Amino acid sequence: MAQKLKETILNPILKGNPITVLVLGICSSLAVTVQLKGALVMALSVIAVTGLSSLVCSLLRNTIPMRVRIIVQLVVVAMMVILVDQILKAGESTYAIDKQLSVYIGLIITNCIVMGRIEAFALGNKPIPSLLDGLANGTGYGLILIVVAFLRELLGSGTLFGLQVLPASYIPNNLVILPPFALILLGCIIWAHRAFDKELQEK
Amino acid sequence: MNTNSNSYTVVYTTLIVVVVAALLAFVAMKLGPAQEANAKAETLRQMMAAAGIKPADALFSTSNADILSLYADNIAEAYTVGRDGRRNGELSVLREKIELVDRLKPQYKAIKSGGEVTLPVYVFKSGVAVIPVYGAGLWGPVWGYIALQEGRGSIAGAYFDHESETPGLGAKIKDEPAFREKFAGKTVGWGEEPAFRLEKNAEAGGATNAVDAITGATMTSRGLDEALNVWFKAYERHFKTEED
Repeated sequence: MAQKLKETILNPILKGNPITVLVLGICSSLAVTVQLKGALVMALSVIAVTGLSSLVCSLLRNTIPMRVRIIVQLVVVAMMVILVDQILKAGESTYAIDKQLSVYIGLIITNCIVMGRIEAFALGNKPIPSLLDGLANGTGYGLILIVVAFLRELLGSGTLFGLQVLPASYIPNNLVILPPFALILLGCIIWAHRAFDKELQEK
Repeated sequence: MNTNSNSYTVVYTTLIVVVVAALLAFVAMKLGPAQEANAKAETLRQMMAAAGIKPADALFSTSNADILSLYADNIAEAYTVGRDGRRNGELSVLREKIELVDRLKPQYKAIKSGGEVTLPVYVFKSGVAVIPVYGAGLWGPVWGYIALQEGRGSIAGAYFDHESETPGLGAKIKDEPAFREKFAGKTVGWGEEPAFRLEKNAEAGGATNAVDAITGATMTSRGLDEALNVWFKAYERHFKTEED
């Protein structure tokens, strides 16, 4: 049992990482990784949404009519996303970040990771493991987001969390700020992940 | 119980949608005032950054409560003007019920379609008057606040913001202080066509009512140029009659 729980938590972060292995959630990881601060808030929002949606769907799993299960899941996920967005807008310190992330908070609804985990895990498992699975998948996504944002903010603006870290003589690289570079970077991360973990390589 | 029967499905989906809707409505009601307060403080920060009450960095790290006090302490009067350039309303400047015209999109549409407008003018005790501008950038709206010196012929400062311009390119209108700082000391060509130019090499000819466009952000610059001219045109009658 403990082994299984450990597996539930560690698998999405390493061997089954939603971004580098399943290649889900790419769109938002290109869009919100220009600055570390935004990426961090986005990561926390996704962790909250995946965790809570999985929990609620798991609680309801025996009552949901199979024919409309996707619609019911969508209602639950949409509710969580709107809650997160409303709370971010209401907080005095998170308001500016919410504005900066603009539509991407709302677009968590369409993030395949959330629905994917509900379909694949929460509908067939008890609430607590489902919550952990959701949180872990959100974390797996968030970690990659933060790695990408770290490199993009450092090379693209010479700053980290808005603070200047590279010397003023460093000329910020504009390519790094544009989405295509995030895709290149993501490809490199997937490459590194596969080179490190031989089991992920196709025969 | 058969969870796949038609009646169960209909009742279940209806119930879940009603419950979720009620919950969200409740949350929106509870958080609404806090969200509005945030939006208002944000507008005040941008206006005061343009008016030069404090540097933008300092304003954006000031709490909402202090921003309201700072505005109330520095504002002299605020009013709205109509299409004919005459005043058509007063805006309260008391700290407890500060009134703003912060929904700029309907005003922008009214200016363009020829409808009646209530364009805000915020006059600070330092003598500068702050007016908003609003228009379409590349990906979404761009807007800003322009502070006019006494006499209203020259610009004291400006602050620009946008919803979703490209980071590093169009987003420079907000992120690069050097861009907005170029507006200080420029003039507005009231009665001229155009009143202001934000174009490639605009500064080269020595014109005082011009600022160079941002390299690599042609569409954002063009949008902001249009926004400036549309709003300057709308305010022209007011500031011309005030001069006379």
